[in-house]
Amino acid sequence: MKPRVYLGAVVCAVLMAAPRAFAHHSFAMFDTAKRVTMSGTVTAFEWTNPHAYIEIDIPDEKGVVKHWSVELGSTSILMQAGWKFNDIKVGDKITVVLSPLRSGEAGGLLAQVTLRDGRVLGNGPGRVGGQP
Amino acid sequence: MKRPAVLVSLWAVVAALWTVATVLRPVGAAAQTPPDLSGVWAPYRAGRGADPKLNPPPPTPIVLKPQYAKPYEARRAAEDEATKRGEPLGTAAVQCVPYGFPRMMAVALYPAEIIQRPSQITIVTEAFSEVRRVYMNQPQLPIDEVPPGYYGHSVGKWDGETLVIDTVGIKESVLGYQNTPHSGQMRITERIRLVTPDMLHDQITVEDPLVLEKPFTYTLAYRRMPGYKMVEFVCENNREYLDEKGAVKMKLREK
Repeated sequence: MKPRVYLGAVVCAVLMAAPRAFAHHSFAMFDTAKRVTMSGTVTAFEWTNPHAYIEIDIPDEKGVVKHWSVELGSTSILMQAGWKFNDIKVGDKITVVLSPLRSGEAGGLLAQVTLRDGRVLGNGPGRVGGQP
Repeated sequence: MKRPAVLVSLWAVVAALWTVATVLRPVGAAAQTPPDLSGVWAPYRAGRGADPKLNPPPPTPIVLKPQYAKPYEARRAAEDEATKRGEPLGTAAVQCVPYGFPRMMAVALYPAEIIQRPSQITIVTEAFSEVRRVYMNQPQLPIDEVPPGYYGHSVGKWDGETLVIDTVGIKESVLGYQNTPHSGQMRITERIRLVTPDMLHDQITVEDPLVLEKPFTYTLAYRRMPGYKMVEFVCENNREYLDEKGAVKMKLREK
């Protein structure tokens, strides 16, 4: 499948709110005004703190595979947003929407993921405590 | 069949005692039993959909003495500038060092669990699994007998239905509310109370005769999370690091 890459400049309200949800560090290293949509194959899913990570191989238009590291919230925040520790498995073909690193390196902050079964999950903020 | 007189008398005594106990108990209970704050509490923030009646009052101004105000403002300006550049400055939390008290009481959306016993109240917060122990009905230690640390030494007592906690001994490197600096003379007083059966307010007053021109007060609000099980938080996979300029960077993997 050809990768679908969209660059958007629309500021996403969820992403703007995301830093308050995690609080481990500032998210200014990610360009949260941008959203990039990419599909690929999961090489690792690490359900860890202070962040969970998706490691994913993403082919470009010519089929050349590039590896990306995608940062998620902490496990607590993800669970509050409806995640389970085993929602992603190695080998899954998934689509991620992320805010890339400003440095241009192959890393980003997750905004949304479409899982192998079609479910769509966000990256928090959670639903507890009233309003994020 | 006629009941023996002694049995009838016994029933009468039991009934009388039960009546007395029932009538007196609520009065005594209200006067002597503090509210049970045990349970898990989520930070509650004002905003969309929030009930304005339950919102905590706004904080009072933080007024630092001039020698502390200058570096504080300079650091804030540097942080703002670095964040705009996309190179946010590092904090202790980036290196997985816990927040300590009082910042641990308000970390994003992470809940706090209160475990209440008559002799000790324990507060566990989810981010970094931080723990505070509040020793009830004990005198506070002199400040110079408390080894400076992340949680200090806390004693508590009930003032009617309000839990009053006094804390001293917070390490100077453990920054306070809004990253304010403090000295070893800092004292923090909390007044924690249920504003509704499921809503808690923690009014926090910070005094520091060396650093602050006058004490300041802020109030945190929490909402009960029935049935919530606290999630563990071990900082085992920290991919953030600080570069030579002190900016936060993310380690990447090749595969």
